[in-house]
Amino acid sequence: MSTTDLVGILVTTFILGSIYGLVAIGMTLIYGALRILDMSQGSMVMIGSFVGWGVLVVAGWNPFVAILLAFAATFLLGTFTQLVSVQPLMKRRHEIDFEMITFITTFAVAIVFTNLALEIFGPQQRNVTFVISGGINVYHGVNLPYQSLAMAVVSIVLMAALGVFLARTRWGMAIRAVAQDLDAARLMGVPVGKLYPLTMGLASALAGIAGVFLGGLYFASPQAGDQPLLIALIVVIFGGLGSLPGTVYAAYAIGLIQATAEVLVGTTWALPILYAVILLVLIVRPQGLMGKPSEARL
Amino acid sequence: MTAPILAVTDLWAGYGRAPVIRGLEVAVAPGEVAVIIGPNGHGKTTFLRAVSGLLKPSRGEVLLDGEPVQGRAPEYVSLLGLVHVPQGDGLFAEMTVEENLLMGAFPASSWRARRRALARAYELFPGVRDRARQRARTLSGGERRLTALARGLMRPSRIMLIDEPSLGLAPVAIDTVYGAIAELKASSTTILLVEENFTHVGGIADAVHIVEMGVIVRSGSFDDLSRDPTVVGTYLGSL
Amino acid sequence: MSARQRLFPSMTPARWTVVAVLVVLVAAFPLANRDQYVLTVIVTALVLLVLNTSWNFVLGVAGVWNFGQLAIYALGGYGAGILMLHTPLPPWLAVLGGGVIAAVISVLLAFPTLRLYGIYTSLLTFAFAEIVQYVIINDGSGLTGGSFGFPTVPGLYSSLSPDASMRAYYWTVLGVVVASTVGLAAVNRSHLGIAIRAVRDAPAYTAARGINPLRYRVIAFAISGFLAGIAGGLYISFNQSISPSAMGLTPMSIDVTMLVIGGLGTVFGPLIGTALLTIVQTSLVDHPGIELTILGTFLLIVVVFVPGGLAGLIARTRNRVAAWAAEDEVTAAGGETSAGTGAAPDAAVAVGEAGAAAAQETAGEDETAEMRRRSS
Repeated sequence: MSTTDLVGILVTTFILGSIYGLVAIGMTLIYGALRILDMSQGSMVMIGSFVGWGVLVVAGWNPFVAILLAFAATFLLGTFTQLVSVQPLMKRRHEIDFEMITFITTFAVAIVFTNLALEIFGPQQRNVTFVISGGINVYHGVNLPYQSLAMAVVSIVLMAALGVFLARTRWGMAIRAVAQDLDAARLMGVPVGKLYPLTMGLASALAGIAGVFLGGLYFASPQAGDQPLLIALIVVIFGGLGSLPGTVYAAYAIGLIQATAEVLVGTTWALPILYAVILLVLIVRPQGLMGKPSEARL
Repeated sequence: MTAPILAVTDLWAGYGRAPVIRGLEVAVAPGEVAVIIGPNGHGKTTFLRAVSGLLKPSRGEVLLDGEPVQGRAPEYVSLLGLVHVPQGDGLFAEMTVEENLLMGAFPASSWRARRRALARAYELFPGVRDRARQRARTLSGGERRLTALARGLMRPSRIMLIDEPSLGLAPVAIDTVYGAIAELKASSTTILLVEENFTHVGGIADAVHIVEMGVIVRSGSFDDLSRDPTVVGTYLGSL
Repeated sequence: MSARQRLFPSMTPARWTVVAVLVVLVAAFPLANRDQYVLTVIVTALVLLVLNTSWNFVLGVAGVWNFGQLAIYALGGYGAGILMLHTPLPPWLAVLGGGVIAAVISVLLAFPTLRLYGIYTSLLTFAFAEIVQYVIINDGSGLTGGSFGFPTVPGLYSSLSPDASMRAYYWTVLGVVVASTVGLAAVNRSHLGIAIRAVRDAPAYTAARGINPLRYRVIAFAISGFLAGIAGGLYISFNQSISPSAMGLTPMSIDVTMLVIGGLGTVFGPLIGTALLTIVQTSLVDHPGIELTILGTFLLIVVVFVPGGLAGLIARTRNRVAAWAAEDEVTAAGGETSAGTGAAPDAAVAVGEAGAAAAQETAGEDETAEMRRRSS
């Protein structure tokens, strides 16, 4: 492996890792606060990619508008998803296998969104062109496009903003409280009936913004959410379900593995290698980097 | 006779099909410290949970300052001024002491109001202030208990429910905790406290109720009950 | 009935007759209707039904969130195909061989799942399925044919005319469907089934009473794997080929939808689910988007509002009608009017009974009881 390859890997890791982090951080936030695995996050990415296409290609506006609209659209849809597929089950959460049922219901919502998009837009992949062109030549032949750099930076800023929100604001603390002890949080007066949909809305909105970026890197299509969903699952398991710092580390780790695999064995085998990695993690250390063993193992 | 802050009538509640509380009735007057004593499994914790809304009773009425709250969500009941310090403290393990206290003031929407409540709590509980930046899960048993009590003070309350403050603590820590409770009593906080045995409550209890099989079987003052040989034998253990 | 307990206490002679008549009617269908397209759809649905029956067993009865069943099904099919092409084994044995191969792989998958909570198991098995699919798609060695599909195999009835072969497949698969449905229902009622459900509902309790959860999970995986492999073998025989598109996220979501809508853990759930979805799929075959949107919506509604799926709904409706009808009557045995496809208690294994007290109400009852999980 040459130095060019190495630098290329680092650049890809930086970009992919940042965006993967943005996709996955919502998922782990939802798991921490609601104890569910939200399988609709992938479809939020897909919706974001279409918003990106609509704003940048069809309307010709600038990327900030795309980001804002994607945020708004997926925030609303995420809230809606929670109200429709999770909230009705909350009452029975102790009688049923809550985690698995919500896995199915959020998955059902994902199916609906994906196939509505398929019906409306058709299966073709659409390019999402950003207005920023050009890039930095980081090393001989390794180009870091400004567009990708901007995406990575915005992703990092958003993740940091989420961290600050959770650490310092009243509602952010309330989300953390609910994640740590639901009953105690309710005793403090935290209105969980409002907090849950808002948390899912927020998480979905982050995935939606990531969708704008991924649409730009790849394309917008109804299937555009499938792979991000799987990547998000891999990242959150690797990092430890419910742990935000774990997810961030894991996102870069997964980005690194994928970038290295692509150089060593080619793109086709990169994803199966990730699956093999997560398979190994689930067998050996299911709680991932920073999760609690008691939550993963029987 | 002023209206009670808390009036519980014919309360039935439990988990699944078996009721743990079977027609419990009790009233707590404003400013009073009422203590419920009883063996484990006879409904002490279940009762507090049914009052604060964590558990939905199947029958009966709970009036908080005249307003029926039975079966309402705990978020709602707590906003009406009921503070429940649960068994096991209910602290947020990964948060610092200060964050835990701030969560206690969650209903206060202004940052300043929360900070003011924090300052007041620190004044009453200097030991807690010393540990402000410490993560809750690293605290000792006594420190956790005090933090939970301090957190209970973070918002205006009509009544404070305290579940087994002496549970799992060494005697020295128990004394500290009850000292703190005595301070709360001195500042006219209405308290409903449950304990397994009433060794420590002598100094603070205005009324003692004994619960057996989910009902109050006897009530009286601490002095009266501590002179009754059957009560002493069952509940006092070693004085 | 005398001292010996009947195997299916709620199945009266009347009900058995109804079932038998229905089976005969279905079996007679190809004699009346020669439309090859219709028959193909039905045979395909029947093969899927075998798969779904196997999946229902591991998912609903054993309670393991195994999302790798499609891969096992496919591996059974590929295994049977390899045996057909590269060994002198007769096609029948190749199909059985596919079943065995699938069972072995399934058993291997059982081990790591035992220590994990539900969600993690689903991801583990799903990752496994994805890897299998990738490996096959990118197989350049010619063994599996990669994404082009397996080389043509003779199948079971290549010596017959197309018409006769279609009918032969129809009856064969129907036979497998009936045998597996009855067989698994019998297993469900047996000591084995009680133990498996006990492990599902009260893992700590059963382990404490000396029942080895590993053993029963392995058995459940072996049975469901074998059946899935048979289904795969039947698939490759009928279609004379198999490709990786049989696996993957979309077919899996459709399949899971069938199971959940029909009713997990019930005897007739797979049947209802498969039938319903086949109808929806064939009528909307030109509009995959709308079809899946409807399926997704249906899945959501059923899971949220109709616990136990449609089979559960039917059972409960039947109960209510029976109760309403029996209001003023004194029922003799009492047991006959009780819940759906069998809630009469088995006097068997005391441990299983106690630990699986909730599980006794399985087939036909609420999904809430089905999915009960003692968690921390």
